Amino acid sequence: MTEMLTRDPDYLVPLRDVERTLTRQMKALQGPGAAPVQRARMANLVIFCNSLEQAILINAQVPEVEAVHPARAILVVGEPSREECDVTARVTVRPINIAGGRAHACAEQVTLHAAGAAVDRLPFAVRALLIGDLPTNLWWAAPQPPPLAGPLLLDLSENAQQIMYDSLGWVNPVRGMAATASWLDRIEQEVRGGRWRVASDLNWRRLKYWRRLLMQALDPASAPGAAESVSEVIVEHGPHAVIQAWELCAWLTRRLGWRLHTGKVSEGVEMAWVFSTPHGPRYVRVRRLPEGPPQIRRVRMTCTLDGKAAAMNLVPEESGRRLAIELEGVDASPRTMSVPPQSAAELIGRQLSDRERDAAFRESMTTAQGMAQSLL
Amino acid sequence: MAIELDASATPRELTQAATQHMLPQPCQLVIFGAPGDLSWRKLLPAVYNLNVDGVLPSHFAVVGFGLPAEGDVKGDPDEWIRNRARDGIQRFSRQDLDEVHFADYARSLFFVPGSFNDASAYNRLKARMEAFDQQFGIPGSRVYYLAVPPTLVDMCVGRLKSAGLVNNPDEQTAFTRVIVEKPIGRDLDSAREVIASVSQAFAEGQTYRIDHYLGKETVQNLLVLRFANSIFEPLWNGKYVDHVQITVAEEEGLAQYDPDTCEMIATRAGYYEGVGALRDMVQNHMLQVLCIMAMEPPWSLAPDVVRDAKIGVLNCLRPMSEQEVEKYVVRGQYIEGDVNGKRVPGYRKEVREAFAMMKKPLPSGSVNSTTETFVALKLFVDNWRWAGVPFYLRTGKRLPKRGSEVAIQFKAVPHILFNDHPDVPLEPTVLSLRVQPEEGLSMRIASKLPGPKVRIYPVKMEFNYSSSFGGQTPEAYERLLLDVMAGDATLFMRRDAVESAWRFVMPILNHWETHRARDIPEYQCGTWGPIEADRIIEPDGRQWRTL
Repeated sequence: MTEMLTRDPDYLVPLRDVERTLTRQMKALQGPGAAPVQRARMANLVIFCNSLEQAILINAQVPEVEAVHPARAILVVGEPSREECDVTARVTVRPINIAGGRAHACAEQVTLHAAGAAVDRLPFAVRALLIGDLPTNLWWAAPQPPPLAGPLLLDLSENAQQIMYDSLGWVNPVRGMAATASWLDRIEQEVRGGRWRVASDLNWRRLKYWRRLLMQALDPASAPGAAESVSEVIVEHGPHAVIQAWELCAWLTRRLGWRLHTGKVSEGVEMAWVFSTPHGPRYVRVRRLPEGPPQIRRVRMTCTLDGKAAAMNLVPEESGRRLAIELEGVDASPRTMSVPPQSAAELIGRQLSDRERDAAFRESMTTAQGMAQSLL
Repeated sequence: MAIELDASATPRELTQAATQHMLPQPCQLVIFGAPGDLSWRKLLPAVYNLNVDGVLPSHFAVVGFGLPAEGDVKGDPDEWIRNRARDGIQRFSRQDLDEVHFADYARSLFFVPGSFNDASAYNRLKARMEAFDQQFGIPGSRVYYLAVPPTLVDMCVGRLKSAGLVNNPDEQTAFTRVIVEKPIGRDLDSAREVIASVSQAFAEGQTYRIDHYLGKETVQNLLVLRFANSIFEPLWNGKYVDHVQITVAEEEGLAQYDPDTCEMIATRAGYYEGVGALRDMVQNHMLQVLCIMAMEPPWSLAPDVVRDAKIGVLNCLRPMSEQEVEKYVVRGQYIEGDVNGKRVPGYRKEVREAFAMMKKPLPSGSVNSTTETFVALKLFVDNWRWAGVPFYLRTGKRLPKRGSEVAIQFKAVPHILFNDHPDVPLEPTVLSLRVQPEEGLSMRIASKLPGPKVRIYPVKMEFNYSSSFGGQTPEAYERLLLDVMAGDATLFMRRDAVESAWRFVMPILNHWETHRARDIPEYQCGTWGPIEADRIIEPDGRQWRTL
């Protein structure tokens, strides 16, 4: 696989021949006497990775992304810290069966690679490969937060209407969160001339069902007074999922109308904040579990239910297919909600068609930024 | 004019048949400047393809005339041009070289070496052409293709006339026609001079001013799209069209480089420097395409009826004042950048190296050349149909990719049902006609995404000539050469059209001349032009398209 992404001459195509080679490969898929193969593409998807290892992982996900939302995928591998090598390209055309196999379509991928100073030249190559009249998306798959990426991100996102990134596993979450919140405003406002742009965090998308379940748990219709009585929120998460937990807390506290007071971090163990409300101080803790999958493992809210001291525990079931609300202190059956499988590729595929600015996300990020600053 | 007839038709149907089309007539195609680049890349391969496709007249020959850059031809001149043709076909032809077809082509391909200024060379040319008439049964009919620099046009037509090589314009069988390549002059006055000098030897009806863009299938399909479909023409006006963008993007710069040694191997600097994109592209190709896009329905497809409709557009172009030139026109010049993964030099460096390669002194004005390699402009067609609709034109060299298109963006729907939310953009409907590469058209429309919520997503419906019709689309030059042989001038520029187009661009040229910029806006090779180009479109709440 590595050689397919790098400089093995068997796989390389001169940049000026990329389109021609794609067309040739596409025509080769057409059987004798068969109807022409159609290109399936709803968007331009530019994916940036800054290491070969990561590119190999992403490369394996691209077909799944294209199955959800067909796109011209341009996988851009830029390794600035490696020995310089020029921009190279390889192309792949993959058949897709649609309409139950009655029609043939194909998805196309171009993989660009450069190292050293030549990384700066990748945006030129990308510019030439974008297809007009299709929405352009940049998937910033490098592990560093986009605002810390420098001019390369700006160049690659020049024509992008959506920048997708994944805060899962950021090395310095506090710094990353602080920088990203203000970057979001900037990146969306920098576009001119009637253009628009939106930035999306895949981690936020992962929280979709958690947020939905929390809203239902605290819904005054089913749990009168619960929302006002929440006194402490504890979110436990597996390694690398701290920002996911953090974003959920930011969203929840915003919804509850709490105002940030102070914050404190115990390195590698817990981040804690105190919020002020008309009903007194409220506490939020984000706790890291030593092992397990990189996701939220439990949300515990201490509150009052039916006039009794109680707690709500929101946990994923073992299958991972459902989320459940378990109540402490009151007698009630667990309530559950189905959670469709969400692979990274599936998330990207769904996000490609979801281009609306999410006000809840932006408000939560503003809160999260305040929470980050309280820890610095 | 020869008409192809349907043998099964009755006499009345024969004269009224709607499917008549003109056939190329027996003739000799005489290429002035046959050793040159245009002939090598385009003309000789085009004639080969016509031969392979079986559309050339059976009584036909090609005669090259001129001198190669290196001087005299060594060996047999006919073999020399045949080898040159073989090389051009191998490199540039849309159909692979087939030895059987090539042998047939080569036996009617000849070369007469000689200087355009040498009267005796014309006598030799005349003698050989008369011999070819005998050999191939050609009735003395000639098509002269002047693939020569504009400065030589006057000399060539004068010599042709003096040598008795131009027949009476009324002559139907032994006709004489001349094809004149762009540029027709470098301003209105010089264009008139060129037109006048050609007209001393050739009548307007014998003169075919070629613009190869008009030979593109997509450009011709514009007529079909507009006038053979009922859904477009009712929308083709300022009531429904928000704006139009015409883009001609070139990936290539002034020079070509050897991919291995990176040394300059060919250059257009001698022609392009001091000419620039406005003269090279806008005044002819782009305005001609604009005409077809914007013209009123012609009442027939007869050449002069279509050309009358086109000139109607040119005559309605709103002349630009000095202030409007400042406001609506932006030029630029490329600087070092990146194309196809290779570092490429800026324009000025290319000009310096080109003149050095040609062993010519660099003109003093070219030391810090301000020749524009990019131009973007906004113009208006002041007639009932297009009142208030801006037309944005943009062309440049060393842009990220090669591509030409006409894009018609329709007006937004009322902000009531679907696009009243400022954060949910509803991309406008766009009809885009691709002229090159991959000729075809596409339409972007809004569609609902599957699912319980109403979410709108832009989808693109595409029609591509090569995948829909299979095979290969003929090159523009093939079509246009056939048209000249058939005497069909529809796709060629009439004298008044040339003058009108020049009249429109003159205020821009004059303004640039009187306000000489020390430096003009720059753009990196491999980008979509200078950032200044945005200022003519973005204040209108619009943006340049991504091709």
